[in-house]
Amino acid sequence: MTLTEFREEVRKLKESNKYPELKSYLLPALWMAEKNFPAITHDVMRVVSEELSVPLVEVEEVARFYAMFHTEKKGKFVIRVCTNLSCMLRGGEEVLSELCRLLNVKPGETTPDGLFTVEEYECMGLCDGAPAVTVNEDRYTNVRLEELPEILRKYGWKG
Amino acid sequence: MAGRVKMEKLLLRNVDKENSHTIDVYLKNGGYQSLRKALKEMSPEDVVEEVKLSGLRGRGGAGFPTGLKWEFAAADVKEPKFFVCNADEGEPCTFKDRVIFEKDPHALIEGMLIGAYATGCRYGYIYLRGEYPIGRKILERAIGEAYEKGFLGENILGTDFSFDLYVHSGAGAYICGEETALIESLEGKRGEPRIKPPFPVNAGYLWKPTVVNNVETLANIPLIIERGGKWYSGIGSPDCPGPKLYPVSGKVKRPGVYELPMGTPLSEIIYEHAGGIVQDRKLKAVFPGGASSSVLTADEIDVPMDFPSLAKAGTMLGSGAIMVLDETDCIVRAALRLIEFFRHESCGKCTPCREGTDWLVRLVRRIEEGEGSEEDLDVILSVSETMENSFCGLGMAAHNPVASSVRKFREEFLTHIELGRCPYRRG
Repeated sequence: MTLTEFREEVRKLKESNKYPELKSYLLPALWMAEKNFPAITHDVMRVVSEELSVPLVEVEEVARFYAMFHTEKKGKFVIRVCTNLSCMLRGGEEVLSELCRLLNVKPGETTPDGLFTVEEYECMGLCDGAPAVTVNEDRYTNVRLEELPEILRKYGWKG
Repeated sequence: MAGRVKMEKLLLRNVDKENSHTIDVYLKNGGYQSLRKALKEMSPEDVVEEVKLSGLRGRGGAGFPTGLKWEFAAADVKEPKFFVCNADEGEPCTFKDRVIFEKDPHALIEGMLIGAYATGCRYGYIYLRGEYPIGRKILERAIGEAYEKGFLGENILGTDFSFDLYVHSGAGAYICGEETALIESLEGKRGEPRIKPPFPVNAGYLWKPTVVNNVETLANIPLIIERGGKWYSGIGSPDCPGPKLYPVSGKVKRPGVYELPMGTPLSEIIYEHAGGIVQDRKLKAVFPGGASSSVLTADEIDVPMDFPSLAKAGTMLGSGAIMVLDETDCIVRAALRLIEFFRHESCGKCTPCREGTDWLVRLVRRIEEGEGSEEDLDVILSVSETMENSFCGLGMAAHNPVASSVRKFREEFLTHIELGRCPYRRG
């Protein structure tokens, strides 16, 4: 998406009349940025700031506050591995280390080909299927170490 | 289970039906009849009275009487008023609300409509946690269906009542489950809590009267209107009645969401409904109400799972999320993981929480890694006491899993200190 297209989308969002004041569109606008850009950069934030009449610094503080927004470049697929208590008790940490080993990255890093970002993540509400992993919007539960390569290949992993 | 009366499924009455998330299935099973009854046969005051009579208390964690909250909101004359559903289900190991809005979203929408009618709210938002993108799609589809059938929009069912409803996605912040932080986030800000009072019912979204109710709370409303508050008040514990969804996870044979009368004993939930402990090991510890509840030992699980009984047992019901540890699990490691979570989720606004969670992580990690001293245990308890002065509930409760573990499993902490390593760690 280009910045001009993004600006158009933010304008459309405003026309939805979902909220009675402009600033409330900030999270929806940042979500749109998160889904359409590799990172919510200052250029992206500036568009949001101008369209919603919110100071740039306030856009940035919101973009940095929420864990699901990426202000640094992320991979095409964000893999979130839950290691909170229920997943930890059922092997979430082992899943995380195995994924990192397969992709040769540390938690928080992106593979050099820009395909995957691996994140150690807090509870995603999938505890009845612990350990749980999500890849973008897809979810995987009761994950076993041996099925990780198969999951990764679905998203274009060549390993 | 001999002799035990099985409770009729109420909140989960639809979830096993095929396409339970669609309006056709919901309507076929009597859906939106309660809304019709409320709009056509009851005044808003009647609805508030019925909910008060039911004794329903909020299922998000605080347990505030729902009817009373609605009464306060209805009494405020400022316009417009907003009705917000708190679907930011972020308490670790809580996954009960997800079942409702993914499998029975119209029950939630109908509950919101009835609540909005009772309190005079014109606009509604479902604040859904960002980690539930599937739920978002299901809810948006359900809202679209409700508009098509005339249950949302202008002049609903030919009455003067109008209500518009939207989904607002959070973006990964536990603190936004706190209602004033949720409102800040809805307004496009960092999720930092506001000082109370004023309460949201008088000054919430854009400082207008705003009702904030949890998903499970609202799913009870159509039932209460259909069958009456008096019927509802007869289910479960007398002082906090109704059906309750208990999400059970960790080392049980059958993790899942169990609907049982409020006040069902914890031991029954673990051993009968969730099938007992994996590989028939010994139960070691239970966090009975999410990550911010104090831990219970194996000797303490004969407690009714309701607000007053758990408070009396020195812990809390919270979201009702039951996390079970067995004899092979390390309590220090568990406490460390939970306080790491709170450190990550502390919004940073107030010092006791921001600094307290960080110090607790350092202290507990030191012990887990075998570098701790006995004095650290006293420091943990002293830091925990200071955190009671935090600005909001997050900081006030964040130390609970750690401080209670130190109090109840002191020997295990001392073993770590004496051995200079975690006795549960292999290799």
